[in-house]
Amino acid sequence: MASLSLKQKLRLIKSDTGGDSMNIMPEKGEVVPKSNISSEKKMAGVKRIKNTFLREKQLWLICIPIILWVLLFAYYPMYGLIMAFIDYEPGRAILDSDWVGFKHFIEFFQSPDFWMVLRNTLVISGLGIVFGFPAPILLALLLHELKYTRFKKFVQTVSYLPHFMSWVVVASIVFVTLGNEGVFNQFLMSIGIIDRPVSFLGEGKYFWGVITGADIWKGIGWSSIIYLSAIAGVDSQLYEAGKMDGLGRFGLIWHVIIPGIRPTIVILMILGISGILNAGFEQQLLIGNVQTREYWEVFDTYSYRYGIQLGNYSYATAVGLFKSIIGLILLVGANKFCKKFFDTSVY
Amino acid sequence: MAQINSVKSFLILQCTKKAGESVKQGFIKESVGSKIFDKVNLVLMIGFASIMLFPFLNIIALSLNDGVDAARGGIYLWPREFSLDSYKVLFQNEDLLKGFGISILRVVVGTVTGVLCTGLLAYIVSVKHFSGRKFMRLLFVFTMFFSGGLIPTYLLFMKLGLSNTFTVYWLPALFSPFFMLLMASYIQNLPDSIFESARMDGCSELRIYFQILIPMSIPVFAAIAVFSAVGHWNSWFDVLIYNPSGEWDTLQVYLRRLLLEVEAIQQVQDLQLAYSKYRNISPITLRAATTVLVTLPIIFVYPFAQKYFVGGITLGSVKE
Repeated sequence: MASLSLKQKLRLIKSDTGGDSMNIMPEKGEVVPKSNISSEKKMAGVKRIKNTFLREKQLWLICIPIILWVLLFAYYPMYGLIMAFIDYEPGRAILDSDWVGFKHFIEFFQSPDFWMVLRNTLVISGLGIVFGFPAPILLALLLHELKYTRFKKFVQTVSYLPHFMSWVVVASIVFVTLGNEGVFNQFLMSIGIIDRPVSFLGEGKYFWGVITGADIWKGIGWSSIIYLSAIAGVDSQLYEAGKMDGLGRFGLIWHVIIPGIRPTIVILMILGISGILNAGFEQQLLIGNVQTREYWEVFDTYSYRYGIQLGNYSYATAVGLFKSIIGLILLVGANKFCKKFFDTSVY
Repeated sequence: MAQINSVKSFLILQCTKKAGESVKQGFIKESVGSKIFDKVNLVLMIGFASIMLFPFLNIIALSLNDGVDAARGGIYLWPREFSLDSYKVLFQNEDLLKGFGISILRVVVGTVTGVLCTGLLAYIVSVKHFSGRKFMRLLFVFTMFFSGGLIPTYLLFMKLGLSNTFTVYWLPALFSPFFMLLMASYIQNLPDSIFESARMDGCSELRIYFQILIPMSIPVFAAIAVFSAVGHWNSWFDVLIYNPSGEWDTLQVYLRRLLLEVEAIQQVQDLQLAYSKYRNISPITLRAATTVLVTLPIIFVYPFAQKYFVGGITLGSVKE
């Protein structure tokens, strides 16, 4: 039965439930009592649902544990977000706790930490958008123009590598490279820019630069894949036409490739803007230290510190919820903007 | 059979790529400017590749250097005073070896369970006549856009008694909506009639999944397995917060502890007390050697894995 086409199946179901009365749209001129139709429809509906369930018993049986899993591990924590509006104490049921409304949110907005956290988040994300966003596009363009296929493959392979390293490894590499005895300091001293080693990791003013550099180093190769495949999708006739019209290499890039990959750029830009409050988490915890905290504490790390390290669960949940709601608003906003001005959108 | 197919499709992919490139080059004579552009581009790319590669080579050189000597700095691509002491110390360190074992266990268990379960889910949401298909899809896709966040999840795991257990590594990672979408987009392109005829013959859904679907979808399963294995190998934050007792510490957490200055010095002192002949290890070289050790497994599977994950990221992006 399952092998029949949908149409055949519907016909079968129809014949099961009594044939012609299934015709929901009465033909012209035909007079059908209203009540009769709806009750029969209901009967047919119930029977149909029952039949479907019986036929798909196996599939639904497999679904049950999956549904239980997703309810427990994905939806129950969403219910836990109510904690942001109550004074949660461990060991007490969420519904028994005192409802305090927006108290935790207001507390967060009024604390001096709020401005520091907001500033760090916006600056780190902003640097990521200004420098980190164009970097893979530039890399993809240059790679595409590279003539030596073997070398091109080598560069690509090498550039993906850091993406597969954990932040712990990257942080270790950053420490080795930028530490006081690190290669970078040695290099700067040998060409005479500085006399003494600069503590890149110990002083807060360098932190934003360090973290942006580390983010780009880790992600540039991987992000370039998507642009490379977009470039590969540009119609080769357009290249020929461009060449015929006398476009040089830069001309081809500017007038053929960039317009060709614009939808990809716009979509990734939307995602980038909507993720502006996700300024990173692991890298801050690993590369940052106590001296530089003023410059690296972002929403996520702040929520982690207050929630898990200090046990202030309700406050930390409020911080996290605030962040994700702003993120959702930004996504919708950026999407609308791009739909209007670039004719491209994520959804 | 399926493996042959996947290798074949990979080869075809490469051939078409090369063909495309050779077509693009050429038929109008190149100008001088274009040639200069190529040379400048080559130099830029060599520079870029060195920036990507240098830190790795540097850390390998450091790990092979004498500890006290390394503290003076100035080691670039080659060790100045060659010494294997850091590695010797590491391989005698039981904590580290145990961490290594747990990391591998986590990768194996987490990847196998995760890929099989997410694959099953992907199969279910691609059975064309299944009435709950849309519902299951929505149920998972919604969690991609909205989640409870760190704190409620943490409290849930505590409540479930998952802290300080090995279960916390694989159970919450059984199903992934993102992997589900990737796998489903592949499975949907498989001919439906094969599954239908199996069903006609009375084959159960689970058997269809294990004996027909998986062998037919080896490329996508391999790609997801690579992603998942790398993710499990690299994750450290969940170990940190869900395993405070340190009983199930993985290699990443061990390395992270060395990154904290005070802990690293403490560790070095402990090791020196335990093994007096390795007096010349220092936090820098110990850290470098551990980093190399954590990185090596990935470097080893990298060439093998690369063909799968590059396919993986663009998987399902183009429908023809």
